[in-house]
Amino acid sequence: MTSKWKKLVPWAACGLALLGAAGMLVPRGAVRGFEVDRFGRLPVLEGGRVKPLDSLARNSLLVIRGAQEFAFEGRTVGADEWLLDVMFRPDVADTQPVFQIDDPDVLGLLRMPQTTQRRFPFTAIQPYIQEVERQAQLAEPIDAKQRNRFQGAVLNLYERIYRYFKLKNSVEVSGSPGLLIEIAAASAPGALQRQQALSELAQFRPILPPPGAKPDAWRNTGQALQAAAAGRVDPALVSWGKLGVAWRDQDKASFNRTVDELAATAAAAAPRLPEVGKVADEVLFNRAQPFYVGIVIYVLALLAVFVSWLKWPDVLRPAAYGLLGAGAIVHTLGLVFRIFLQGRPPVTNLYSSAVFVGWGAVVLGLVIERLYRKGFGTAVAAASGFATLIVAHHLAADGDTMEMMRAVLDSNFWLGTHVVTITIGYSGTFLAGAIAIGWVLREHLAKTLDPDTNKALSSMVYGVVSFALFFSFLGTVLGGIWADQSWGRFWGWDPKENGALLIVLWNAIILHARWGGYARTRGIMAMAIFGNVITSLSWFGVNMLGVGLHSYGFMDQAFWALATFDASQLALIGLAYLPRHFWKKGGAAAAAPNAAS
Amino acid sequence: MKRDSTARQVWDLLSSIKLTIVCLALLMVLVVACTLAQVRLGTLGAVSLYMRSWFYWMDLGSFRIPIFPAGAAVGLVLLVNLVVAQGRRLELSWKKAGIWIVHAGLILLFVGEFVTAGYQSDAQLAIEEGQTVDHVEFPRQHELALVDTTDPGFDEVYAIPEQALARGGKIVIPGTPLSVRVREFHRNAQLFRAPAGVPSPVTQGAGVGVVVQEAPPVSSDEEVDATTAVLDFEAGGQPLGTWLASRAISQPQPFEAGGKRWTLALRPRREYLPYTLTLKKFSHDVYAGTDIPKNFSSLVRLRNPGTGDDRDVLIYMNQPLRYDGKAFYQASFGKGDTLSILQVVQNPGWLIPYISTVLVTVGLLVHFMISLRRGVRRATAAQAGRTAQEAA
Repeated sequence: MTSKWKKLVPWAACGLALLGAAGMLVPRGAVRGFEVDRFGRLPVLEGGRVKPLDSLARNSLLVIRGAQEFAFEGRTVGADEWLLDVMFRPDVADTQPVFQIDDPDVLGLLRMPQTTQRRFPFTAIQPYIQEVERQAQLAEPIDAKQRNRFQGAVLNLYERIYRYFKLKNSVEVSGSPGLLIEIAAASAPGALQRQQALSELAQFRPILPPPGAKPDAWRNTGQALQAAAAGRVDPALVSWGKLGVAWRDQDKASFNRTVDELAATAAAAAPRLPEVGKVADEVLFNRAQPFYVGIVIYVLALLAVFVSWLKWPDVLRPAAYGLLGAGAIVHTLGLVFRIFLQGRPPVTNLYSSAVFVGWGAVVLGLVIERLYRKGFGTAVAAASGFATLIVAHHLAADGDTMEMMRAVLDSNFWLGTHVVTITIGYSGTFLAGAIAIGWVLREHLAKTLDPDTNKALSSMVYGVVSFALFFSFLGTVLGGIWADQSWGRFWGWDPKENGALLIVLWNAIILHARWGGYARTRGIMAMAIFGNVITSLSWFGVNMLGVGLHSYGFMDQAFWALATFDASQLALIGLAYLPRHFWKKGGAAAAAPNAAS
Repeated sequence: MKRDSTARQVWDLLSSIKLTIVCLALLMVLVVACTLAQVRLGTLGAVSLYMRSWFYWMDLGSFRIPIFPAGAAVGLVLLVNLVVAQGRRLELSWKKAGIWIVHAGLILLFVGEFVTAGYQSDAQLAIEEGQTVDHVEFPRQHELALVDTTDPGFDEVYAIPEQALARGGKIVIPGTPLSVRVREFHRNAQLFRAPAGVPSPVTQGAGVGVVVQEAPPVSSDEEVDATTAVLDFEAGGQPLGTWLASRAISQPQPFEAGGKRWTLALRPRREYLPYTLTLKKFSHDVYAGTDIPKNFSSLVRLRNPGTGDDRDVLIYMNQPLRYDGKAFYQASFGKGDTLSILQVVQNPGWLIPYISTVLVTVGLLVHFMISLRRGVRRATAAQAGRTAQEAA
């Protein structure tokens, strides 16, 4: 291959990956003739913020089912369609297997055998609902730290059932003749109780604030019905009633017409309610799933670079670099989109910190690859990006990832400075650890070791640790200053503060050990890997401390994931100190002495 | 000669990078221990055990031995190490300018933490809407307050600090005919109604018929000790009976002596301010349709006759009022959102961390810039060398 063609390889790989990512943006189109997609773009108020119904549906299904869609009767049911069934055809929704139950004791409570089938329709849970409620009431008063696994699981199931129940009763009383009848009989005897029940149960508020009202004066249908009883019928309420009838009767024309009516109402309100204008963008963001696409691209980059070490290095290494670039572009666009939608700096909660840590590591890795061109930067960046996005994916299962910020956190200045710098510090420490892991694996797997690469890896780790020290120190003291601004003390030895301090101290130790000559390549690499342990503990471990160190309820999935990760890092440190090729028969003796250690 | 070499060895050790690493590692161990201990002891307890003391002590029955250096000791050694190494090992050159600035900033940071540990005071100011308050309270310290309430327009307060009660004996209150003899003092106690047959030592006031049982001091951050004392009062040699004063008794107990009306109470230590705060409005905002808090804020009127200040101040999240060397923070609330609790912090060293942060950040930047320039220059030189080789 000529060098001219070679230059095109990374661009081609990057372009192809981006094309694939763009494919996600293509709308699904009508479902069986119903404009479900346009329904998903209607704005509602939930959890204190205006969002599209699509986000509400996806997050609810994610909480209940653990995924944003599911297979039923031979086809894929999307979240929007599911939400329509829950609200207007509960008899259909009740038979769809959306409740994920994994806990064996909870399964036993529901008289269900432990098989591979872990997803159940509401109809299967219904006979035992009182028992679930009773168990949840028993578990509820127990402090979250003290609950055992069963208590945690049954409470979780109860909360999901309750959310499902609330969704069912958000627009109309589930199983009632419908909202239109309710409007007609708004001042009939007994109507007030139903209106109050609807008000209390509503998961979201679909009726826009009337002109002149405060921008957060959204109403649920119960409240709008009470106004209707007083003679003020909001046209949107009638439209919602018609929408319910149309979906129940599966009347495509009427459904599509009514969705358009509601969309027109929202569009008319957009000039005075700026959040309503952003709703369509959020649907686009939901559909694009940039962080999910990022996972796929990073895996491809990782595969390409691995294969490149065995075969076709001239094509695959640049291709991997191009793929990493594509991943970084998608990842960056996703972050920027989120910042735009939320009007906040990139890190606002644990979920977004994982997304941002990965982003920082990928960008750093790209820089390193440009400097050293060994394929190493690509490999560790892709691995870090992949791993952190997987972590983020699991953290997203709690529901809305763009939830509102609690009082003390409601400060874009501090979120933008302290939180961002400390998260970049995490990125750096993890990247240094990842390079060190690469060094260890290379030590044992590579057939030959050239001293140049060894030296390059060593200086990469040194550079990245310096970078990480700078950002984690700056982030930590900025946190101190924030604490001084909001609580009156710069430093309070709070667990999260201590966690940040540990990262600073450890990076400082690594650098001093190198400057003082107490650790050489091997030692520095082992220390950099231990940096992963420290960072993971201060990132997630201290949060678990709040969940209780001496309690049984604490043995949840996240704990085991963290413990496994840390154990693997310790094993890698052990591997760093084993002689090269120790696993080969007599390898230790035959192995060439390591030049750099 | 030998002496000299020993001194030299100590000097070498004090300036060694090895000592730095050991101190940093010890600090890590302490931080981990302190973090884990918070589950059991609460933050205050863990910090005073591991960080704000010289040694970590182990109890061996009646006596205790230091088994590990604690935060103050490690911090001091690190500070000395930094200063000595700075003066001795680091050359004073532009090449090391960044490191110099970083270390100066770190020294300042340590000094700041020592100043905070020694001089910071944390008080509270609880204020209801419409109420005017002229004092702050220290919830973890107590005093016996004797208040002359004879003049309805003015209270004369005589306060005996907790430490004086703990020492016991007879305390004469100057400027009054009153004196008090401490019969019992407990840092924390439980009060019981005396069961039949058990005599109560108390003869006067709200504590008649009550027996006192000593309790261990509380350790969690949320609880406070129910400090309690049993006291004999006298006025001009005339006995006034035995009284019970306790944090657990919420109302001041009235009595008369020497023709004047008095109240007595064991209450959190107060510090009176030369100015007053009046709470005009407390707001607790939530996001629409949720109970997620959006903001807490207190609108207060600050009046200081001494300086002529008479103005409204809004204290809210991340926005304290800094006044008269104190900072007032929105900390908590209660009574159906009509009571606002402000945290009042006085720390003469509060600016130190800000300065040291700037120094360390600038220093690290300078250092990495210098290293980067050196690295680039080296790389260019190597490149040039390689090109020269190829040419030859």
